[in-house]
Amino acid sequence: MDWVESGKMAVKTLTANKMRSSLTMLGMIIGNASVIAMVGIGQGAQRLASEQFESLGPNVLFVAPGSGQARQRTTNLPRTLVWDDAKAIASQVPSVQEVAAQKQGQYPIVYGGLNSSSSVTGTTPSFLSVRSFDVAKGRFLTDLDLQRNQRVVALGADLANRFFSDQDPIGKRIRIRNVSFQVIGVMRPKGSFLGSNQDDVAYIPLTTMASTLTGRTSPYGLDVTFISVSAKNEASVPAAEFQITNLLRRRHKIVSQDDFTVQAQKDILQIVGTITGGLTAMLAAIAGVSLLVGGIGIMNIMLVSVTERTQEIGLRKAIGASGQDILVQFMIEAVLLSAAGGLIGTGVGVGGTLLVATFSPLKAAISPAAIALAVSVSGTIGLVFGVIPARQAAKLDPIVALRSA
Amino acid sequence: MPQSTIVRLEGITKVYGMGDTTVHALAGIDLTIEQGEYCAIMGASGSGKSTMMNVIGCLDRPTDGQYYLDGQDVAQVGDRDLAHIRNQKLGFVFQQFHLLPQLSALENVMLPMVYASVPTAERRERATEALMRVGLGNRLQNRPNQLSGGQQQRVAIARAIVNRPVLLLADEPTGALDSTTTREILTIFGELNKSGMTVVMVTHESEVARCTNRVIWFKDGQVMQPYLAPEDLGTVTAA
Ligand SMILES: Nc1ncnc2c1ncn2[C@@H]1O[C@H](COP(=O)(O)OP(=O)(O)O)[C@@H](O)[C@H]1O
Ligand SMILES: [Mg+2]
Repeated sequence: MDWVESGKMAVKTLTANKMRSSLTMLGMIIGNASVIAMVGIGQGAQRLASEQFESLGPNVLFVAPGSGQARQRTTNLPRTLVWDDAKAIASQVPSVQEVAAQKQGQYPIVYGGLNSSSSVTGTTPSFLSVRSFDVAKGRFLTDLDLQRNQRVVALGADLANRFFSDQDPIGKRIRIRNVSFQVIGVMRPKGSFLGSNQDDVAYIPLTTMASTLTGRTSPYGLDVTFISVSAKNEASVPAAEFQITNLLRRRHKIVSQDDFTVQAQKDILQIVGTITGGLTAMLAAIAGVSLLVGGIGIMNIMLVSVTERTQEIGLRKAIGASGQDILVQFMIEAVLLSAAGGLIGTGVGVGGTLLVATFSPLKAAISPAAIALAVSVSGTIGLVFGVIPARQAAKLDPIVALRSA
Repeated sequence: MPQSTIVRLEGITKVYGMGDTTVHALAGIDLTIEQGEYCAIMGASGSGKSTMMNVIGCLDRPTDGQYYLDGQDVAQVGDRDLAHIRNQKLGFVFQQFHLLPQLSALENVMLPMVYASVPTAERRERATEALMRVGLGNRLQNRPNQLSGGQQQRVAIARAIVNRPVLLLADEPTGALDSTTTREILTIFGELNKSGMTVVMVTHESEVARCTNRVIWFKDGQVMQPYLAPEDLGTVTAA
């Protein structure tokens, strides 16, 4: 008996019992749909995170307080990283272009009857070039503002829009934690970074931040949340990383463990890649389990089917079907069920992925590799889980089978 | 037409079970059936008729003994080849028809040719021909549940003869049918036999056996009367 014939027969048998066939396929449909959607979403998350870090520019390095391990153990970071460190990096490290120290906090901001709790960043004029921000209107902070502890603020685009909508904010006064600041500029929209809105931020001089909002809290000087550094070019990033580490070790008199961390964009990308890659693999594994469950469902139904169709099997053998013919017939049914389920599931998964891509910032992508994998895995699952029922059918003694009522 | 032996059984035994509970369903059968014969196998229930039909039909292997089908020693044949022999040389008709419910009459009759790898066009042609032969030329597309019992059995007969077997075997083919339908089925068997088909049929009805040319009388797994004329049935049934 040839394959075309066997295929036709299997289709006939499966369509004769549509309800059961579709319920059997359901497991494979769900399994495949979830594999494809999960991998798609996982890769979307991966891409989103990577793109955001790439948008920082390849020359950027960050210096944060706390060592790698200490940062994982505690939220109570040492206050040893100070503005003077940033100044030292700027003046003493040759491969560094510019340095911006940043001190961050969350404070109530009030203008007229409006108020909001927003992120306030105390920083230096070099912030603009180091982090590739732009001013849309007015001006950014200047060295003079810092020297004089000026109470001036440059507003993020969303923040400005919320408070002033169509008015001109320049020259207006807002209150940050009850301290009056004059608006000197509005930033160009920058979008969100890892879920935090960079346009909902107020930028004030680092010195003003320390003197009026946080207070000078570290015995080492004006402590900062982190220092952004831009290297002269991409090639000098490793050198900058090395030199900054050495300089800070000297300045902080480190003997054993560093109390700071220097990370280049590349390092962060790598970490992000590892985390999101692991996440994707985990999602895929969870989804893979449902594929397996689908396969077991197929085996289950095929076993029932063999029992129910004992007479049919006996009859087929009586009129000339060999054990192998019967084996092939049941295998084809199992593979058809799982492959069809796989195909439909793929369709559902692709649809789901596209929906997520359309309605969320996750750049969920359809991965041809995931589709190929899911479909071939489901076919294989049909083969593997079809074997046991098919062999049972093939083994049946025709007389016993025919006699069974 | 030169006479040839279709079935030759020599010392066939079939033992079921082991130890104390063994049943000698066939206790040493010697029997020949020639080309063109029309035989009825009769005997009490449990006397081994079905067991012997299964051995003759290559559905079951004897415990011991020799069996030559159409001159071929089938005791030595493997499972695969046995399936091929069933397909090519034998036709079966069962009491319960055993049609596949999801297939039309035509498709049911085409089934043996599927396993014989006959080309599709020829399959359709030969299946139609066989169904016309049993008087169902106008029921090709009906499913079994759209046919009466007699019609279903006629489809089963068409299926049994479509591969032009050398031997047609029927185990109580009229057991599930009323007397009118029984006569229709017997007419078909008679016609098939007249056209040269060797027919062997198990029955427990004397009227059915009387339509054949030879009665083989069974008792306790043995052939008591290998050549009983149907007219003389009264002698054994009375005994
Ligand atoms: N698979 C089996 N296992 C055990 N005993 C069986 C089996 N098949 C038939 N027999 C026994 O063999 C004997 C002959 O059975 P069977 O050929 O069906 O008789 P008949 O068809 O003449 O009524 C009976 O005693 C029956 O119980
Ligand atoms: Mg019987």
